[in-house]
This record gives sequence, structure tokens and C-alpha cells, in this order.
Amino acid sequence: MTAIDPTIGPDRARDVFHAELALVRTDAELQALRTRWIGRKGSWVAAFMDSLATATPDLKRSLGKSANELKKAVEAAVAERESAIAATRHPAHAVDVTLPGRTPALGFRHPLSLIRDEVNMIFTRLGYQVLEGPEIEDDYHNFEALNMPDEHPARDMQDTLYLQVPQVPQVPQVPQVPQVLQVRHAPRAKAPQPLTLLRTHTSAMQIRHMEQHDPPVRLVAIGPVYRRDNLDLTHTPMFHQVEGLVVGKGITLADLKGTLTSMAAALFGEGTVIRFRPSFFPYTEPSAEVDIQCLRCKGVGCPMCKRTGWLEILGSGMVHPAVFEAVGYDAGEVTGFAFGMGVERVALLKWGVEDIRLFYENDLRFLEQFGL
Amino acid sequence: MKVLYSWLREFVDVPESAEAIGRRLSVRGLALEGLDPFDSPASPGSLGAVPGDAVLDFDVTANRPDCLSIIGIAREIATVYGVPLRIAGSVGRNLSSGGTAGADAPADDTPLPITIEEPDLCARYVGARANVHVGPSPAWMQARLTACGVRPISNIVDITNYVLIEMGHPMHAFDLDRLAGPGIRVRRAKTGETVKTLDGKSRVLTPDTLVIADADRAQAIGGVMGGADSEVSQATRRIVFEAAWFNPSSVRATSKRLALRTEASMRFERGADLTAPARAIARACELLETIGAGHATGAAVDIYPRPPAAIDVTLERRGVSGLLGMEVPDAHVVRILTSLGFGVTDLAPHAGGPSDGWRVAVPSWRVDIHRPVDLIEEVGRHHGFEHLPATFPGVQQAPAASDPRIARDRRVRDALLGMGFSEAITFGFIEASAAAMFGARLVALANPLSENFAVMRPSLLPGLVDAVSHNRRHSRPDVRLFEIGTRFSPEGETRGVALAWTGLATPDHWSGSRRAVDFFDIKGVVEQLAAQAAIVPAFVDTDTPYLVGGRAAAVHVNGRVIGLLGELANEVTNARNLPEGGAVYVAELNLDVLTALAPAEVLRAVPLPKYPSVVRDVSILVDDALSAESVRGTIQAAAPATLAHVQEFDRYQGKGVPDGKVSLSLRLTFQTPDRTLTDDEVQAGMQGIIAALVRDANAVQR
Repeated sequence: MTAIDPTIGPDRARDVFHAELALVRTDAELQALRTRWIGRKGSWVAAFMDSLATATPDLKRSLGKSANELKKAVEAAVAERESAIAATRHPAHAVDVTLPGRTPALGFRHPLSLIRDEVNMIFTRLGYQVLEGPEIEDDYHNFEALNMPDEHPARDMQDTLYLQVPQVPQVPQVPQVPQVLQVRHAPRAKAPQPLTLLRTHTSAMQIRHMEQHDPPVRLVAIGPVYRRDNLDLTHTPMFHQVEGLVVGKGITLADLKGTLTSMAAALFGEGTVIRFRPSFFPYTEPSAEVDIQCLRCKGVGCPMCKRTGWLEILGSGMVHPAVFEAVGYDAGEVTGFAFGMGVERVALLKWGVEDIRLFYENDLRFLEQFGL
Repeated sequence: MKVLYSWLREFVDVPESAEAIGRRLSVRGLALEGLDPFDSPASPGSLGAVPGDAVLDFDVTANRPDCLSIIGIAREIATVYGVPLRIAGSVGRNLSSGGTAGADAPADDTPLPITIEEPDLCARYVGARANVHVGPSPAWMQARLTACGVRPISNIVDITNYVLIEMGHPMHAFDLDRLAGPGIRVRRAKTGETVKTLDGKSRVLTPDTLVIADADRAQAIGGVMGGADSEVSQATRRIVFEAAWFNPSSVRATSKRLALRTEASMRFERGADLTAPARAIARACELLETIGAGHATGAAVDIYPRPPAAIDVTLERRGVSGLLGMEVPDAHVVRILTSLGFGVTDLAPHAGGPSDGWRVAVPSWRVDIHRPVDLIEEVGRHHGFEHLPATFPGVQQAPAASDPRIARDRRVRDALLGMGFSEAITFGFIEASAAAMFGARLVALANPLSENFAVMRPSLLPGLVDAVSHNRRHSRPDVRLFEIGTRFSPEGETRGVALAWTGLATPDHWSGSRRAVDFFDIKGVVEQLAAQAAIVPAFVDTDTPYLVGGRAAAVHVNGRVIGLLGELANEVTNARNLPEGGAVYVAELNLDVLTALAPAEVLRAVPLPKYPSVVRDVSILVDDALSAESVRGTIQAAAPATLAHVQEFDRYQGKGVPDGKVSLSLRLTFQTPDRTLTDDEVQAGMQGIIAALVRDANAVQR
């Protein structure tokens, strides 16, 4: 702080004092400031008063008054700052607020669970019912009724795991006789067949539901499915699938596009662009693979999308008339769309996970990245 | 399917680069999987190097065997770009329209004797004889085959492969002089008959297998692979070209049975073109002349017992827009289908209005087209799915209820997350040795991927134990995990929840209070879950192989066991190679039973008490073998109806407490809904309780 110039007048001096006061942080600095401005010796006030010795009485009176007022103002400002500084000092019962708190334990939801819940919510909002079916299936519901008779080449697309000993089908031990099992009309289901395989897709649930319920249908089925795929960066022999099915009068492929556009926006962000690529599935006709525009490069082309600008997320199409025939629906009366999406695939893309196996290691360092 | 850009251009005047074509086709049904530049060798004639030549690798879906060929893909390109498909020369010519015998070849007087004994498995067989000079094929042919992933072998074999790639129809060439007699029989294999296939393997056949045989024995497996004994070699002088049509299911079954997948079997099992064999033979004979490899001798023989009727499908105009949800102009519908090779005629028009649609004749190579929807797909994909509007299905009735397990599982999950357990998801199948301790009757897989995934889990615990193990190995000694999932038994599936807790119960903190997890931590979690389901379970000592004896309890509700909890036995931790790190406490509950047991009244609100409760503490000395439940039972039996709650709040052994005894402090809460209790009546109640404790529990009040 520079020496105080006693030749400046009281008005200017007041400004200088306040500027200096603003910089004061401690009590010691405050007392030093006080002494320099209004102390008995060598302070600004003392020097100013001395400089008035030769002034005219009138001037002496008016300037002296100003100097005294300034002195009082300094006293008041110093006192105010004194109590402000005192208030920040730790009292005896004070704690060190910078020490860590006792964090209550909180679990972390599995990322696949987060996606499943989100899909569940999206479709519940759109008026779908959400179902979960058996994981052990019979050949009929998993393949045959889905227009994949034995010896159909399309069965190669899904290498199947079979049980050593076929099981007798059981009514699932679901409490409170849920609507899933409520029969609205004479069941069209074939006589129960022995359960022989692990379902390769949740599409088996489509058949089980339509066998028991008249149209309209609006459902999503979520759960694990199994295929004979070796573990690698992008494959696991068990993964999770979301199946969607809507059947009614006048359902169109354009309805599917609208629905999936809405789902993509909810899962990947508003404005996510999707495209339909014609493809083939035995249980849909027309069939389409659905891509979203690459989340990383926005369609320009990058390593994530293999320079195509697009990421494949699901397979879909209009329900094949043969499927309707299998469940006793009149294919001339109703149409429908269906889609199947891998939950892991969505999670990989959404969060940029590079190794699908992380979802099954249950490493807390991984799980804790995802929050509730 | 790998196709060469310059080869495609022979059939379609492509106005764009290979890359641009690949991109366009990707959104029209042929996904481009790869694109590699290719240097065509300069060669005379029209087959010289093409600038920008490239190999396009398309993913051809299982329903489109016709696109496993240059011509098939060229036809798609022609349709996409609206340009004509150019099929010239013998490629499109049938036997009847083209001479197969070379001018200077000595005609063979006797027709090649061909007998089809199994017309269901082989609907057509065309054979042609030729005199040949075996040698390498020309460079351009070798280059094209190499580009498309086929290894050049000799001019004769290369011709059959060239026709395969170009037209999509598999062919075979036999060394005629190595057949027993000139005759060819298409028959089922005899039991135990063997054939040495071209890959050098000797294969034992069954009558399910269709073979191409000479007078003596099988020389080829129909539609799958030729035989080594009649293979074309450098010494071959006379050959028979074969082009046939084999039954898809039969070829698929044979190919699977022999674990032998070939370019031929892949095409036949998807469905080959019944009209193609004659064209394929004509094309092969022409190529023979073109490259100077020989001459056909005599006319080809075409055995085609039952040519099927052509298929017509009626396509209604309103069906197109009704299924797609977009309008496709009539002219586009007709152009697309015509360009793809369909014959399109208008249905009879109504008086004063347009017709309802079209009668569409399906070309022989489109084995995937049977119904109107199949045609609508063709129209839709070539008109472009990008033109589809985004609409929503109308709601036609109130939404139906979801599976009740979903909401239940979510409540359980939320409760456990709040208690500090993170959610695990593990595989449904596990190692048999890991499963054995958790269930005696396992559901085993017939064709497991590996030993690690051999049986379906009888319990969620083995998966969780492995997850604990993984975390310990990665420097995470404190683990709290749960999983909600399916357990499997021969009786069916049940949904369960399992917990694993190891390490600290209270985390390290500068204020102290560090404590390792114990039995009562895991029990508390189970009690809390039970409370959420509004049930009051009893905990009963139990003996189970995977839990430490004396620290294991069965969870009983209404006399039914709904789960187990306790400390994981060393046998399990050792078997699963769990790294050192203290006790692991686990629990598993059957969720389906848990929820079924929850009383329905759980959702009715109970009014809050209007009158204050009265709390009394009592401390007693009892035998330390006496269970807390038994003490509580004595109290409840002796207590007045106003006793609302009993809580153990201290248990002490040590200084001041005789050996074999334990000091137990209990807090008793009295309450009644209709009035304030008086001191006197509470006191009377307490005296009764203490007297009962002294009398029945041998207690001494402290």
C-alpha cells in the first residue's frame, strides 16, 4: 500500500480509503489500515490537520469539519468490517467442513437394466403392455409358427441351444393370474409341445400372446435370449432383446417408422435420424433393418460406423401372413408390425462401450459409472 | 457375394462408380459389406482393364438365391437406376435356340443316357458331352474368378465356376472316361455306400442322400459336391457337363449331415431356378468354344419330367398403400416389377373406373415370391423406404395390463439399490460343477457352447459368487451385489432374487466405525425385503451344502420355505477360486412365491394412532442357548393385548454375567387405539411378563 498523500482533500481521501478497505481480509490488516488513516500520529488525518495550520480560519473550519466526518466514517467502516471478520472465525463447536461426509451406501442399476426400464417406459407411454415370457421354449413357438419350418435356411441365422432332456411345459408360477395368461377366447394354441430349446428371440412371445388374445395387440416383450455365439467383443451367447408387436386394422409400415423414430429419439436423443434398409426375416414381409445416424460423426463417416454414417440397431417389418395364419388371425382383416432390438447393442452405442463382455463381468468399477 | 464391377457392367450400363452403386443398393435390399479396388489384367477384346474396377461384396439375404450371381445383382441395379438389363448371347439362350455341338466336332450319335430315379429330389437334369483339351483358362477368366473369390483350377472347372458366378446356377463336370459306362443315374445312395468327394474325404452315405451315379457307383453327391474319382484332370479328354435342379430341403439336410457347405449347396438349399439348367449348359458350351478349351459333341440331353405351372399373383392397388402407408404411383409399380422380370398385366377395369390392380407373373428365379405381400415388398423397397411417412398406429382399445412381475421386480430392485446393492446380470447357463452344489436336478444343454455354459442355473448364487470373485481380483474387496433373474429346474422356471455381501458393512471413515459384514447384515436386508412385501418370515436354522453350518437360515413363510441366507461355505469359495477376502454372506429368495404370499390388504392405509404409546425396558439374564425367538414368544404369550412391539436392544456376555448366561435387554411398546394407557395397567402388564420370563425362561431380572 502506498503512503497516504496528505495533500488530497477529504472527498478524494474517502474514495481511496474505501478502495483499500475492500482489499482487507484479516483483522491485522484492518487495524493497520485504521492506524494509517486515523491514528494519532503519522496518519492521514493527523497529517491533514497539520497541513491546515497555515490555512485561513474559514477554510480551517470547513476542511476540519470534513476531515472529522471522514474520521467518523472510517471508524464506522472499520467497526463494521471488524464484526464481519469476527463472524467468519470458527467458534469452539465448529467442524472442518472440508472433511468427507459419511456417504450412505447406494447401489447402481445395471446399464442393461437402465435401457430395459427406459424402453419399458417409452412403450408404456405409447399404450403398449409389457410382457415377459418363458426362456425355455418349444420349437413350434420359436420357429415353426414364425414361418421357419424345419430345414428352413433362415434357421442358420440363429444357431440354437437345445436341452438334453425335453421339459414338460408348465404354466408359469406367476402370481395373481395375470392378464398375460387370461384367455379371451378358445385358445388356438396347438397342444403343448415338449420344451426343447432356449429361445433364440423374444418373437416366441408374439405367438404365445396372439394364440391367447384377439386383436388388436400392442405389446413389447423384454428378456434374455440365447444363441450359440462365441464370446467376443460384440457377441455373447446370452443377450437381451426387446420385441415389439402391434396388430390391428390398417397398421402400416409407415406406422412402424413413426414408432421407431419416436423410440430412437427417446433412447438416443431428440432428432435422432433413422433409416429403413430392406432386409429379410421369415416372419415379416416387407422386412427392414433399421439404422440410426452415427451418434459420433452424425453421418459423415467414422470408425464407429465403419465409415457408412449409420449404425444398425434393429430388425423389423410387417408381420408375415403365415404368422397370422399360425395363430388363427385373419390376414385379410388385420395387419401388424413387429421389431426386435438387442438391448446390449443399444447400450454399446449409447454409452460408447467397446466390449460387450463388460455387461456380464459385473465389475463395480464399470457398474458405478451408470448411476441410479 | 463378391461381384466384379466390370463384370456387372457387361449386363447393365451402370452410370455410376462402384462405391455409389454399393451405397444405393444398400438401401434397396443388398447391403454392401465390403468394397475393394481391383486391377483387371489388360486383355484383348471387350474384357480389358476398366478404370475404377472394384470388387463389391454384398450381403445377400437367404430369400434371394437369384442374387447369388452377377446377373441377379445386375438386375437389381438396372431396376434401381431405371436402365435396361442387357442379357446377350448364350447367357440368356436356351438349348433349343442355340447349337451346342461345335461345327468341327464329330457328332456323337447316341444320346447321353440319363435316368432320374428320384424326381422329387431332382426335378431336372441336363447333361452335355464335350471333347476337351484341359489346361489353364485364359487370364481374364482367372482374374474374374479370383476377384469373386473362386480359385482358378483348370479351364473346364473354371467354366463351370464362371457360369456359377455369372448365372448363379451350380454346374459340375465329370471325366466321361472315368465313369463306368456313359449312363448317368440320379438315385438315392445305398446304405453304407461311400464316395470320395473332391475335398479328398471319403464319405459314408445313407439312403437320405441323393447321388449322381454311373452304372456301378456314386460319383457325386447331388447338389453338394462332385466325386474325386471322376474329377477332371490333365489327362481328361471327354467330359459331361451337368446342370441340374435339386430339392432345397434334401440338399440342406445332406449338407448338414455331412457338415459340407459348398457354393452349390448354398444355392440349391435356398432354391435354384428351374429354367436355368438348360441355359447354364448352353453358356458352358459356348465358353468352351470361346476360350478354345474344346467342343460339345452331340445334343445336350434335358430330362425334365414335370415342369411346374408358372405362378401368378394378384396384386391389389389398395393392398400396396394399405400395407406400406404410402402411395406408390401405378407407373412406378409397373416399372419396378417389370424391370425385376415380373410379367405385369392390368386386371379387368371396372366400368368407369380403373382396375383393382394387376396380375403378376412370377419369373422362375424368384423362388421367394408367393403372395401379394411379397410383391408389395418389391414395390416398397424399390420405390424407397425413405419415402415412408412417420405415422402412428391408432389406439383401438384401452391398453392391457403389463406382466405383474415387472412392477414387482422393479420394487425389489429399487429397495436393494437403496440398501447399497448394485445390480448384476449374469448368464443363464453356468458350469455343471458350479451348479451341482446348488441343485441336484439340473437342466443340461445338449449342445453347449463350452463346459462353462453347460447347464441352466438352478440358483442365481453361482453367478454372483463369480462376480464377487471378479471384483476381488480387481481390488474391490467390498462388494454388495444382487441379481433378479430366472432359475431353472426340470419342473420349470422361477424368478428369484439373490444377494451377495462381502467386505465392510460400514465403509472406512476418518471417524472410525469400520465393521465387516456379518450374518445380521444380510438378515436385515432379507427382513426389509419381506417387510416391503408385507410378510413376516420366520428364520429357522438349516443345513445346506453351500452355507456354513450354524450361520445358515431358511426363510419360512406360513410353513413354506421361500429362501435361504447365510455365510457361503468354504467348499464353494474354494471351488470357485475366490481370492482371500473374508466371509461372503449370501441370500436367495423365490420372488414368485414371495409376491404370491403378500396379503392383498397390504395396500390399505392404517389410521395413525391418536393416543401416545408407553415404552418400558427390561433387562434379564437367561441361558445363552435360549433363542431370542423363544424369549420373545414367552413375552408375547404373557403380555396383555396392548403390547404392540418387542425389540431386543442389547445383548451382552462377559464381565458381570455368569458363564453360560447372557444379559438381554428388551424394549416393550404398549399401545391401544382407543385411549391413553395408564401407568398402572402398563405396570401390571410388565409384572405379568416378568413373572412369565422367570417361570418359563428361567430368567433373572437385572
